[in-house]
Parts: sequence; C-alpha cells; structure tokens
Amino acid sequence: MAGFLERITERLNIYREPGWYKKFDHKWTMVIDLDKCNGCGACVLACYAENNISVVGKADCDKSRAFSWLRIERYVEGEYPDVKVKFIPIMCQHCSKAPCETGCPVYATYHNQDGLNVQVYNRCVGTFTCATYCPYDVRRFNWRTYKFEQPLDNQLNPDVTVREMGVMEKCTFCIQRIRGAKDKAKDEGREVQDGEIQPACVQSCPTGAMTFGDLQNPGSEVAKLAKNPRRYRLLEDLNTDPSAIYLKRVMNDGAGTHEE
Amino acid sequence: MKRRDFLKILGVGSVGTGLGYFFGKASKPPAAELIPYLNPPVDVIPGVANWYPSLCTQCSAGCGIHVRVMEGRAKKIEGNPLHPINKGKLCARGQASLQALYNPDRIKRPLKRKGDRGKGGFEEISWEEGLSILSKNLVALSEKGEADKLYLLTSQIRGSLHNLLDSFMASCGSPNYLQYELFQNRNLLHASQVTMGVNAIPHYDIANTKYLLSFGADFSSTWISPVSYSYAYGQMRQFDDGIRGKLVQIEPRMSLTGANADEWVPAKPGTEGVLALAIAYAIIEDGYYQGSDAASWNALLSGYSPKDAAAVTEVAEGRIREIAKEFAQTRPSLAIGGENMARYENGMSGLVAVNILNHLAGNIGVRGGVIPNSGGSRTIDYKNNITALAAAASASKVKTLLVYNTNPVFTTPKAMKTEESLRNIPFIASFSSFMDETTAMADLILPAHTSLEDWGDDFADPSVGRPVATIMQPAVSPFFNTMGLGDIILSLAKGVGGKVKDKMKWNGFSDYLKDAWKENYSKDKDMLSSALTFDEFWNQLLTRGGWWPAEQVKVKTVAVTPKSIEAHISKISSRFEGDEKGFPLYFTTYPHSSYLDGRGANLPWLQEMPDPMTSVVWGSWIEVNPMTASSLGIKEGDTVTVESPFGKIAAHVYLYPGIRPDTVNEQGGLIVGWIS
Repeated sequence: MAGFLERITERLNIYREPGWYKKFDHKWTMVIDLDKCNGCGACVLACYAENNISVVGKADCDKSRAFSWLRIERYVEGEYPDVKVKFIPIMCQHCSKAPCETGCPVYATYHNQDGLNVQVYNRCVGTFTCATYCPYDVRRFNWRTYKFEQPLDNQLNPDVTVREMGVMEKCTFCIQRIRGAKDKAKDEGREVQDGEIQPACVQSCPTGAMTFGDLQNPGSEVAKLAKNPRRYRLLEDLNTDPSAIYLKRVMNDGAGTHEE
Repeated sequence: MKRRDFLKILGVGSVGTGLGYFFGKASKPPAAELIPYLNPPVDVIPGVANWYPSLCTQCSAGCGIHVRVMEGRAKKIEGNPLHPINKGKLCARGQASLQALYNPDRIKRPLKRKGDRGKGGFEEISWEEGLSILSKNLVALSEKGEADKLYLLTSQIRGSLHNLLDSFMASCGSPNYLQYELFQNRNLLHASQVTMGVNAIPHYDIANTKYLLSFGADFSSTWISPVSYSYAYGQMRQFDDGIRGKLVQIEPRMSLTGANADEWVPAKPGTEGVLALAIAYAIIEDGYYQGSDAASWNALLSGYSPKDAAAVTEVAEGRIREIAKEFAQTRPSLAIGGENMARYENGMSGLVAVNILNHLAGNIGVRGGVIPNSGGSRTIDYKNNITALAAAASASKVKTLLVYNTNPVFTTPKAMKTEESLRNIPFIASFSSFMDETTAMADLILPAHTSLEDWGDDFADPSVGRPVATIMQPAVSPFFNTMGLGDIILSLAKGVGGKVKDKMKWNGFSDYLKDAWKENYSKDKDMLSSALTFDEFWNQLLTRGGWWPAEQVKVKTVAVTPKSIEAHISKISSRFEGDEKGFPLYFTTYPHSSYLDGRGANLPWLQEMPDPMTSVVWGSWIEVNPMTASSLGIKEGDTVTVESPFGKIAAHVYLYPGIRPDTVNEQGGLIVGWIS
C-alpha cells in the first residue's frame, strides 16, 4: 500500500516541479501581435470551419451558449470623441500550469507530451469544474446535442470529432493539424519544420498577426517573437504560465510607447 | 411432429429463403455503389485531402482560394498562398462560402411559377423544359422585333463569363446588359479616370506607406479588397524597417478601420470631401507643395480655407493644418477614400479631392503611394443602371428580364418602387441559387451552380500594380440538379437557333473558357515568354490557380492637373433629405461586415460570428451615441423607429460611443429592403 502511494506522489511531483514541461517534446506556442490585429474575425470563422463547431442559433446565443473556441474580446474606452477600441483574440491559452487540469475528477483534461492542454471528450462527464476554474473563460459546454442540418453536414471535417450533449470542449491549437504534420515528418524521417504547422486561425489571419510554432526550438519564429519587449501574457499574476503570448499595441505618440 | 409436416415446413422455408434471396438481390442498390473505394475515382484516396485552387466570388476583390476536398466533398476553404492579392489569407465571408454550397435553402432543380406572381408557388420541371420555355420566349421576342426589350441584370462579373454574356446579349440583338450591386466602386473608377486618366482602380500601396489618411474607407472589413489591404495593414504596422505607419481615419461613424486608427476624426457626415480639399489648401498655403503649378492649384482651391472648412466639417482649423503638415511631410504618405464618402451626393468630388491630396504630396507612382494599374479596358455606361431598368420596366419597355446573383428588390429602397416596376415585366427568369426577393418574382428559375462547382475566371480590379488573373475550377461535382451559368447560356443559344447559335458554337462553358485563354495566351507576350506549350500553360494555370507576371519594378507615373479636375470639384458639401427641424439627426448606412448587402445573411456561420465592433449576433441594430440616447431617453435594447422623408425602419438600439451625437447608423446589409 505504501509503495502504491509513493508511486502516486512521485508521479505527481514530477509535474509539480518548476519547468517540468521542458522535458516535453515540444512546447507549442502562439504569438499574437495586437499591433497587427484589426479584429476582423476571419480567425473566428476559420475555427468554426476547421473544428466542426456547432452553430447554436439566436436563442442559445442569448443565453451565452455560443461555441466560439476563439473569440475576439473588444474593449471600448473613453467617450466621444476620444474613443479607443482594443481587440484581443482569446482562445484556450494552453497553460503549462493549467487550473482546469487540477479540477477534473476524471482526467478528461490533461497535459500531453507536446505541452498542450488536451480535452478527452470520451472521458468528460460534464462536471463543469474545468470551466469554473478557467480564468480565461474559454471552455464551452454542450448543453444539448446540436444537429448539423442536412446537407450542411457534408462540410464536417473528418479529422475532428463531433461533440454531443454533456461534453466540455475548447480550443485544441488544432491538434489534428499538429498530429498530421508530426506523422508526415515521421514518415519522411525528419523533425517538424518551423512554420509547417498552422492552426486554422493562424492560417487565415489576413493581417498576419498570429504566429504558431515550437518555443523549444530556438530558431523558430515564435521563439524570436517571444523575446519582443512588447511581450505579455494574459493574467500572468495568476501563475498559470500560458502558452499564448501577446505583443502589446504600440501607441503612435512619436515615442513608440506600448499600450497598457 | 410428423416427418411429413417437417418436410412441408422445410419446403416452405426453403422456397421462402429462395424468394427472399431473389427479392433481396433485386431491392439492393447496384453493386457499383457498394464497392466504390475498391476501385476509387482517380482523385480519391480515403482520408487524404485534395486541394483545388479556385476563385472566391463572395465579393468582387477576386481572391484566390484553395478548396480542401475529401472523398468528393468540400471541407474547408483557405487562401491560395501563391496568389498576389490575398497571399494565402481569407476573410470570414470567403471561408463561409462553403455553406452556400451545402446550404439547405438552395434551389435544387429548375422551377416554374404556379399561381400568381410573387405568391411563392413553384412547381419542379426538368432542365429540358425550363430551357425550352426560355428559348421559346427569346425566339418570340426576336420574331416580334422586340429583341431590344430583353434585359440581363447580373452582379458584378468580370472575365470570360462577362464576355460570354456580352456576346450572347449582342447576338440576341439587345444592348441591355446591366451589372448592379448595392455597394460597387463605380465612383472610385470614375474618379481615377477623370483625375489620372487611368481606366482602372489604382493599387493603393498601404503596406509600404508611413502615413495613411483614410476618408471613410473601411478597408479592414468591406472596402474593395479587404484581405489584400488587411495584409498590407499588418505590414504597415510592423514593418521590417521598424518604422510604424500611422493611420488617420476620417468618418462620422467609427468603422472597424477607424477603431484601429491612431487618430479618428469624426467629421460631419457629407463634409469629408470638403475636409479633403481644405487639407489640400493647407498643403499649398503652408508651402509644402513645390510644384510649378502651385498658383493654379491655389486658385482652384480658393474657397476651401481651413478656417471656412472648420465651420462646415466641425474639425478644428488647427487639426486640419496639423493633418496637412503630417501628410505632406511624412514620406511616403497615402490618402484613400471610399465607402460612404463615395456614396454621398458629391461623392465624386470627395474622391477627386483624395486624388488631389495624393498628387500634392507626391504620392502618385511611388512605393507606398498610389500605383496606377495598367490595362483597364472596362468602360462603364454610367447611365445604364438599376434606375434606368426600373424606369424602362415601368414604361413597359422591358419584355423579358434575366436576373443572376443580384437582388434589387431587396437592396434598393422601397421608395424607388423596384418591385412595382418589375411587376410590369411580362416574363422574368432568374438564375439565382437561392430564393431571394427578386427570384421570388420570377416566372422561371433555372438555378446556377455555386462558385465551387463551376468554371470561370477573373481579372482582379483593383489589381496589385500588375495584372492578376484567377481561374475558377469545379472543386466538387454539382451537388444538386443545377447547371453553370455559362452552360445555361450556351444551351439557350442552341435552343434559340439562327445566328445566335452560329455565334455560340461551344459545347460547354469549360470549352469556351479554354478557348478564351488560348487567345489570351497567344496575344500576351508575358504568357508566351514562359516557353510552355498551351497545354502545359493551361495545366500550370489550373495547378497554380491563375496567372500573374513577376513583380514589376517599373511603375507608371501619371499627372494630375488642376485643369483636368476643375469640373469635378463640387462647391458644396453633400445635402441630406429632410429639414433640420423635423429631422434633426443624420442617418447613414454602411455594408454589414459579414453580410455585405445582405447576400451573406443566409449562411449560419456568418450569422453566429459576432460583429467586430458591437459583438451583436443574429440580427441588426441601430447605433446611437450614448449622449444622444440619454437626451432622448433611450436605453440599450429599446426598439426605436428611425424616420426619414422616404420611409422608416424599426430596430433595437445599440449604444455606440464611436459615432457622432448627431448621427445614427444602420447596416445596409440587413435593413435596406425593409425600409417601408
């Protein structure tokens, strides 16, 4: 019995060590340059198209049940005529110390070997704990089974599961594309190249505000961007260690100061 | 059980089994459908996607797309990375066009009107019957000598399909081929014709500019080529040389572009053109313009001193001079104008003023400025528009109307009485894929393919300083019993017979397209210089998604002279209907960011995608400044009625801080047809 407990504590402690994720194969990271982002919403639609996200309709939208895994938060400050508007695209931040993972009683959400925060739909029993713990409000719950009206279901992406009632879902960093690229690289006997993997949002972004890659690869584009002085992460003081890095908007006051 | 009974049962049983076997065999689907993937079609590998390059037709920008097809079904649309216009990117509307292909509301087969017009009664007919009804109608017209009473109304179409329609109408003996869209860029084209003498909308090099002065052009969401300009915007903001471009947006209602601007200048609605001229005046007066013709410019702009303009536009004189200084001194700078500014009464004057600004600051023909596009052969008959059609229809000068992909009954205001005038037309045939307000009035509906099932091509306008041609090829086989518009026209020509048939000898539109490209290929020295045979060239065209020459270094320069534009500058600001006492607020509309003029409103994704500025889903709203709302006692979510001398609309209120207190706003895409 004692040995059993020891084994469990040992395993838990591995994941409590600071920097534990560095032992992982990859550290997928998204960098979003808010100075380039113009809030157009192409990424939101790309996400709907790629990930078989249900359209819930007007009545459920009114109950805040819209599924958008990726949303664009818009902040309006000031009064006419000094109105400032800011846009921040927010999706699952894939925290390295994710609060949601500690809460799940059935290990439906866990960290995989790529440093991704993964949701296993088959395990999920819908306790809603993860969504309660998430400080970024990115988890979406299937309050009922939404049907894809015929023949719209012809469009469904065969690489992505269609979810049913009672299951929590969220952004996966397009794990099907990551898996696809890794499989292809393995078949060709090489490492995954930088820029080879593009989640749907990154691929579509008209202004090129989003970049995706492996932070552990020092030559990657995201590793370079992550050193930018404008870098910040959302709610960093909660110590969630998110994998999404934002670059602040620049104020055009001549001095090039960054927006807070 | 006796042995005899046992044998009886056994006998009955085996006969039953045998019958069942034969019955089962007969009722089963043919074997071909049971084993398709043992001998799969050439392109199909289960689980492996094919990507077909094609053309996006959701707006007139002409972006190149890649369609992901798995086992014969389109799964996703992405931008074509090789394409010079959108560089692999695609906006929300373009991506949502998948839902047009698989839309449950598509018209699935030809329909004939049953019962009274406009009551919505239709019966299904075969293609043979539908085509023969229409060709008989056309024959009857020409026999009665009324061929010129045949009208064709389409959305904005360029390329080979346009040429085909043009020659079809010409061979039928009718000059009446109209293109109508609620939001099109005719004024912009006309402005570049009169100021620069270039018959094409120029390329605005936003990517390389350091100071962008935009008069109402919402290039982030709807203005001419949003993906191309959004990409350029990203480049402008974080450019390799480390100098961040500045964006100044002048408009009464903060658009998505205005929200991203460094400075938002809320000029009074209708006065943007005056403001542009005042900035031009300040550039001359403050000595930033060094040209020899400064004196004649000064004379031309004499009525627009910043001081006078400040009173009209409600933008302070100091600010006008400051903008003039920055615009003239930052190199390179760029002024653009569009959307509402181009649609006012003096829209032309405003756009001409924008070109004057670019000339005075020396932005024409330079990197980061206005780069004229060559080769525009598009001539627009400005008189031949929807108003002319409506007038002809009410005068009973239209006998047969063919409509494709445009919905004037919805997009023109009720006060124009388009519906009533269309009722005078004895025969209307529609080629629309969806049952819209205009199609509902048709006598015959021959549904055309959506763009993912059809052939076509497009020559982008505005292009990016070099010609860009995009090929549209069928990514999937037709999903319903529909036909491509080109094929419909060619079949009609066969049905009409006579000289129409002789002129349209092609078997299908794909043959026509290939022949058209054979001609392009034999004429164009850039295409010939690729040293390919035509078949190799055609294959390359289909695999790359189009044709565009390498980037040209030499840029054409054009001059703007005071003399050429004198006639096009208006002396007044735009007027609004209604007296100020009875109608104290300005009412403006703009294209909805995802439905444009309403065409995207049937796509669930676009409905569910929040509007970028207001985050409203599934509906429309009226934008009111919170200050105005509190003085009128209106709360957010209240239903209000906005009234003008033309009519009124009712919708929910959204309190929008980024709008002038004297202005209220509505999206054109959802409400236009409802103005009653």
